[in-house]
Amino acid sequence: MTESLILGPLFRRWSRRLALSNDDKTAVAGLGWSRKQFQRDAYLAREGEPTSVCTLLLDGLAYRQKILSDGSRQIISFHIAGEFLDLQNCLLEVADHNVQALTRCNIAVVPKELLLEVMNDRPNVRRAIWLDALIDASVFREWVVNVGRRDAKQRIAHLLCELALRLKAAGLGDGPMFDFPLTQEHIADATGLTAVHTNRTLQALRKAGLISLNSSKLSILDWDALAEAGDFSERYLHHSV
Amino acid sequence: MDAPHETALELLARKLNLHHRLSPEDRQAILDLPHKIRRLEAQSYILREGDRPERCAVLLQGYSFRHKVTGDGSRQILAINVPGEALDFQNLFLEEADHNIQMLVRGVVAEIPREAIEQLVLEHSEVGRAILITTLVEASIFREWVVNIGQRGSRSRIAHLLCEFAYRLTAQQLAADGIFELPMTQEQLADATGLTAVHVNRVLQALQREGLIERDRRMIRFPSWERLSEVADFNPRYLHSLDLETLPHIYQSSDA
Repeated sequence: MTESLILGPLFRRWSRRLALSNDDKTAVAGLGWSRKQFQRDAYLAREGEPTSVCTLLLDGLAYRQKILSDGSRQIISFHIAGEFLDLQNCLLEVADHNVQALTRCNIAVVPKELLLEVMNDRPNVRRAIWLDALIDASVFREWVVNVGRRDAKQRIAHLLCELALRLKAAGLGDGPMFDFPLTQEHIADATGLTAVHTNRTLQALRKAGLISLNSSKLSILDWDALAEAGDFSERYLHHSV
Repeated sequence: MDAPHETALELLARKLNLHHRLSPEDRQAILDLPHKIRRLEAQSYILREGDRPERCAVLLQGYSFRHKVTGDGSRQILAINVPGEALDFQNLFLEEADHNIQMLVRGVVAEIPREAIEQLVLEHSEVGRAILITTLVEASIFREWVVNIGQRGSRSRIAHLLCEFAYRLTAQQLAADGIFELPMTQEQLADATGLTAVHVNRVLQALQREGLIERDRRMIRFPSWERLSEVADFNPRYLHSLDLETLPHIYQSSDA
């Protein structure tokens, strides 16, 4: 497979926001990517370690997390095919969080200096990477709101809305049904709730006829009601969906 | 140009240099950015959600905060900004502001036209890199806030917020003798930590009784930085300061 095909999910995502020329794509594809596979739960980056490469997710799901001194874990974001997993870590000198595979993941890595060089030479690529970093930051802000000021039902409904919209935009499901490999523990750790509370809240969303969730399939049965239950407005995703 | 204008952006250059070392030429290019000085009253808005900003404000004096309001009207504070920080690098490439920026207290900002920053980034790639890295550091702080609110108990949460604030002011060389101005009301502290004002009050009193903080009106001191940062579960790694090793000195006298 040629590099351009491998990077297809990245180029499709970037092309939704800006006009990427064939030269831009060729320059990025020619950076000397190497491919790797990680099993479910494997660590792709660890907090405190120096960074030298940037990692692009080619398929599967991954997430960023931090572990506190008492051992509790907060998930900070989920990532889907075509997204950089550690843009944040790789441009800073030391990783400030962990990145873990949620399913089996195929990734492509590139030395960060090469990516920075192509950013200097190509305004479109620079803009695309900037946008990635800024939209990531916007999603983190929304998550601060989610855990800080929303109740359990709103938090979980908000998370489901965000993931469904992003999966749909990436062409990884066109609704109402999505592959959804998150466990209740992942949902709990992403929303700052206990597993019991998460379970109860998901039951309530099911009973209210908003979603169905079983054997790794999520169906959103009533989008408008789920968005309302989640106090969800997509502005913070900045048309990336 | 009069003297204050020539040095107005000095704090911004200092902030960027904290995360990415700048050459004298790059530093000068930052100081030379065209800008307009504006004085702002407490509570005035610098940016509102949905705005399309044409200028980038750099805070020169006072403090500002980022916030969002949920559908049912409750407010979540997302960040506190200190002098030298650019308030909407976020919006350099994004079309629409996704949150509000408001002054916490009376202060001064320098407004730089968006095109001037875009031009600077084109002509000085290392400044561009410094701005990107500084933006990423801000994103790192948002991540830590997700962790703070999502997982820490109220005592740790508030202690963490205090540690971060003190650390950032110190890194910007804006705190003398380990005494800090705490510009936030208890209600604002509550909105930043996802707690109620009553709860915040109780925690502050407890921290005071235990000798972890000392308050005199708006001034706050931390008699034992080590104990406070332990309560807070505070590790400054996420602030990505290149001056990491030089910072602890200011706290040593009080810890001895």
